[in-house]
Amino acid sequence: MPAAYPLPTDLSPTTVANTASLLRIIALALISSAAIASRLFAVINFESIIHEFDPWFNYRATRVLASKGFYEFWNWFDPTAWYPLGRVVGGTIYPGLMATSGVIYNILHALNLPVDIRNICVLLAPGFSAFTAWATYMFTKEMKDESAGLLAAAFIGIVPGYISRSVAGSYDNEAIAIFLLMFTFFAWIKALKQGSAFWGTIAAVFYFYMVAAWGGYAFITNMIPLHVLVLMLMGRFTSRLYVAYSSWYAIGTLASMQVPFVGFQPVRTSEHMAALGVFGLLQIVAFGQLVRAHVSSKQFQGLLFAAVVFTGAIGFFGIVGLTYKGWIAPWTGRFYSLWDTGYAKKYIPIIASVSEHQPTAWPSFFMDLHFLIFLFPAGVVMCFRTLRDEHIFVIIYAVVASYFAGVMVRLMLTLTPVVCVSAAVALSSLMDAYLDPTEPEVEDEKKESSTPASVVAKSSTSTTTPATPATGKKSKKSKDKETSAPAGGVLGELVSNVASSAVAANSAAPTQKGIFGLDTRVVVLLNTIGMLLFFVVHCTWVTSNAYSSPSVVLSSTNSDGSQHIIDDFREAYYWLRQNTAEDAVVMSWWDYGYQIAGMADRPTLVDNNTWNNTHIATVGKAMSSPEEIAYPILRKHDVSYVLVIFGGLIGYSGDDINKFLWMVRIAQGVWPDEIQEPNYFNRGEYRVDSEASPAMRDCLMYKMSYYRFAELFGSQQAVDRVRGQQVPAQGPTLDYLDEAFTSENWIVRIYEVKKDDVLGRDLKIANAFDQGKKRKRTKPTSRRKAISA
Amino acid sequence: MRWPLLALLFLPFSLAAKKSAHEQLVDLAAAGNGLIKLNEKTYDLLTSSKRDWSASIHFTALSPQRRCAPCKEFDPSFTAVARAWAGVAKEHRDQHFFATLDFDDGYTVFQKIGMASAPAVHVYPATEGPNASAKKAPFTFDFQHGFEAGPLAEQLSVHTPVPIPYKPPFDWSRWGSVASLIPIVTLIFRFIKPVLQNRWVWAAGTVLTSLVMTSGYMFTRIRGVPYVGPNGAWIAQGFQNQFGQEVQVVTLVYGVLAGSFLMLIVVTPRQMSAVRQRTQVYLWTAVNFLVFNILISLFRVKNPGYPFKLLI
Repeated sequence: MPAAYPLPTDLSPTTVANTASLLRIIALALISSAAIASRLFAVINFESIIHEFDPWFNYRATRVLASKGFYEFWNWFDPTAWYPLGRVVGGTIYPGLMATSGVIYNILHALNLPVDIRNICVLLAPGFSAFTAWATYMFTKEMKDESAGLLAAAFIGIVPGYISRSVAGSYDNEAIAIFLLMFTFFAWIKALKQGSAFWGTIAAVFYFYMVAAWGGYAFITNMIPLHVLVLMLMGRFTSRLYVAYSSWYAIGTLASMQVPFVGFQPVRTSEHMAALGVFGLLQIVAFGQLVRAHVSSKQFQGLLFAAVVFTGAIGFFGIVGLTYKGWIAPWTGRFYSLWDTGYAKKYIPIIASVSEHQPTAWPSFFMDLHFLIFLFPAGVVMCFRTLRDEHIFVIIYAVVASYFAGVMVRLMLTLTPVVCVSAAVALSSLMDAYLDPTEPEVEDEKKESSTPASVVAKSSTSTTTPATPATGKKSKKSKDKETSAPAGGVLGELVSNVASSAVAANSAAPTQKGIFGLDTRVVVLLNTIGMLLFFVVHCTWVTSNAYSSPSVVLSSTNSDGSQHIIDDFREAYYWLRQNTAEDAVVMSWWDYGYQIAGMADRPTLVDNNTWNNTHIATVGKAMSSPEEIAYPILRKHDVSYVLVIFGGLIGYSGDDINKFLWMVRIAQGVWPDEIQEPNYFNRGEYRVDSEASPAMRDCLMYKMSYYRFAELFGSQQAVDRVRGQQVPAQGPTLDYLDEAFTSENWIVRIYEVKKDDVLGRDLKIANAFDQGKKRKRTKPTSRRKAISA
Repeated sequence: MRWPLLALLFLPFSLAAKKSAHEQLVDLAAAGNGLIKLNEKTYDLLTSSKRDWSASIHFTALSPQRRCAPCKEFDPSFTAVARAWAGVAKEHRDQHFFATLDFDDGYTVFQKIGMASAPAVHVYPATEGPNASAKKAPFTFDFQHGFEAGPLAEQLSVHTPVPIPYKPPFDWSRWGSVASLIPIVTLIFRFIKPVLQNRWVWAAGTVLTSLVMTSGYMFTRIRGVPYVGPNGAWIAQGFQNQFGQEVQVVTLVYGVLAGSFLMLIVVTPRQMSAVRQRTQVYLWTAVNFLVFNILISLFRVKNPGYPFKLLI
């Protein structure tokens, strides 16, 4: 058989195998270092700092764990959060992340490496991304082969969809969760393939780790049963399936119940019922198979089938009935809102208000996945061609995850691994076909004249003939050897073996295939390599520009191109830490709760653990009410300082005025009589200028944001740079609050809540008196009584 | 001779005048099956400054020449809620009235209260009596939950003496169609069974689903964005935004790209003629490259800060 290009023929098979395995190790090492290195932009551009909001809490908890030990951490009651309620931290978190950092910290210190806990927290996510690349390699290897595995590892190492949640400093649950997700899936596939209780147990152990680390474990809890159910419906029940699922479910569920935050949920809530139901169904089917093997009567088999269906239906209605009776909790709002997408906006505005819970527009997909997004369907089709049990897993995963990623931006994270795996399968099939030096033999003229028809016929027959399930690699290889004698010795054999095993499903009909000529190969490969290069450049750009900002420290570019650091948040938090009493309660919108607790070390009313809607609505009400109404609320909650984020001066768009409507909505959910969203609009427009609605102009949030803002501009017109509106020159006045601190760029503004007037007057009247205004002849208002009321 | 006749003529009015305003309203409501159809006069009666009843008034413009599509959409919901209220026990029912005022029946009222858009629902609280409310200003219902009767009843229940016993009507057509689908499916199951067992049917379904989902279909569903923008623009401005047509275009682009890869992987190596195969390879590579170019330029429109470009 002719070859398109020569290969060395004088290599022994062991040399080839050894070199290939060495190259794989080197490639994996390089991929790991690339994965870690590309996540360090944040440290290089800024500094080694914890990012965003939730990581600040995780960091604070880890510090407690590292300094006081595990048991102290486990029993930690935090009186400064959710003032005055407090929070039982040990029982309301997923401790996996903190425990991981704690273990690393203790190991390093046992080795006499005094590494700061902060640096461990900052670098945990990049470190685990290397593990993720390895786990993805192992997973993809089970789907196709090692070369696809390497491609998948490289993809997931640098793809922005995963980097967005795992840059250095992004110390969040997702940092370790994706590794656990991929490794659990790998162990599951391995268990299923081998029918091994050992791998099933490994899957269960990693499932337990996942449960301890991230609330998204419910994805695994439902993916694996779904896979099993589909396999059973396809008539692919085997004892391997039975062993793998039973061992995973039994051990994994018992283990997951050890996490206090999860507790008895696996037997009491609807999210976990699919796993339980499939477990029961599997037992019934297995029993049915057993009986069928021992009984020959055909009638009895029919009866058996009916019995299986009947018990299955009873089990299903039993679960439904228990849910109805309240023994099993129905779907929680967070999960339910994935199905009924209008649900969250109507009933749980807190969930709908989070920006990462918004639906995803297509540019986000392309930004995060680049060319993988269109290789992904091609890979799914490749999975359909072979359709072994593990390929069905990838197919289900693809459908489910692409739906979820469309509903919520945040769930792009769960889509990314399957996109990488699937794209790698497709790309490696392409490379296999065009790197294989074997050329098919040229057919004679007669045949050539009839080729178009025959090709069409061939492709159509190949699509309709059911592929025999794979019967092991050896038989395939031998078949291939019969059909095509590869040119180019051992190396050529290796290459062509790899190539033909990818399309082995169709080898039932011995058809010749291959690529003619060198130029065709070069063209396709050049195009592919160009795309890959573009992908790398794209990923680097996206990572360095979009995903590496700590959001605690902002940066802008000066006119000469140099970087200008905006450090208002830390400036303000440190001001609080150093200038206020240690027990001074700070009120802010919940977004900043964790940061205030972490950086300023002051008690907060609400924080990012949004467990108490009413408490958050109270803050929302205080922010959206006039001063006279807000003041008693503030005093009742012992609030000493109020903190608002205002971006109008430098154009920071994530400020409180832009979030304000959510505060109004959440407050309206609890006090529909007092707070109404339409009042904050002027004829349907959200305005902050002189046309702002009266409710808007009087509310505390508006006043605190624009207090003395116009003075900054002197005689010029004051302009809010975020909303692009002109602010009236006569700014709002404050009677019950006093400006305490405003940061350099006015991003953070802190107000002190005034104490009661010493003469017992209402503060507004006292203020008017101080300014020399004559008191109006009205009945003295008795606002102060509202405090005790 | 004339006077008695005239007196007879005025008799009904005088009788009506003897009836208190509240009784008149009760009669009107009973006549309208729980819903009073207002005009200027009855509007004043209903919203008289001394009232021991409360009222939900629906302002609308139903006549075709007003061209108020939302009015037509909302009207059945309000009527249904009013019907539901008619079923309440008498002592509560007569404390709250549901009424509709059409623009063509009382445009002076619209002018008087400065109503510029329809539909709108105002709730006038009672000013006297046991149900008197501290607030004098009417409460305005906002349509943030849409025009459905459920949320309307829920929000109005806050202002009525007892909650409105509104239950959504049983959706017979939906359940009927589901129920009728079951025998149909069982009947034709034999014929569609080979289709259901064909893996390529499933493959097509799977690939189409993931293509559509990754093109932002759920975004358009959840946000309810229009198919195209004003004056025919089909690309929405902004990175986090898109129109319905973009879903189709992007799905097509992704589909063509994935298809060209599949052609190169699966079909081309089977081509047994060198010339034809070469043509196919060049063709599909060119398609792949060009469509990728188009995709990049499309992305640059959405994200003007994107620094990379290929040929176009």
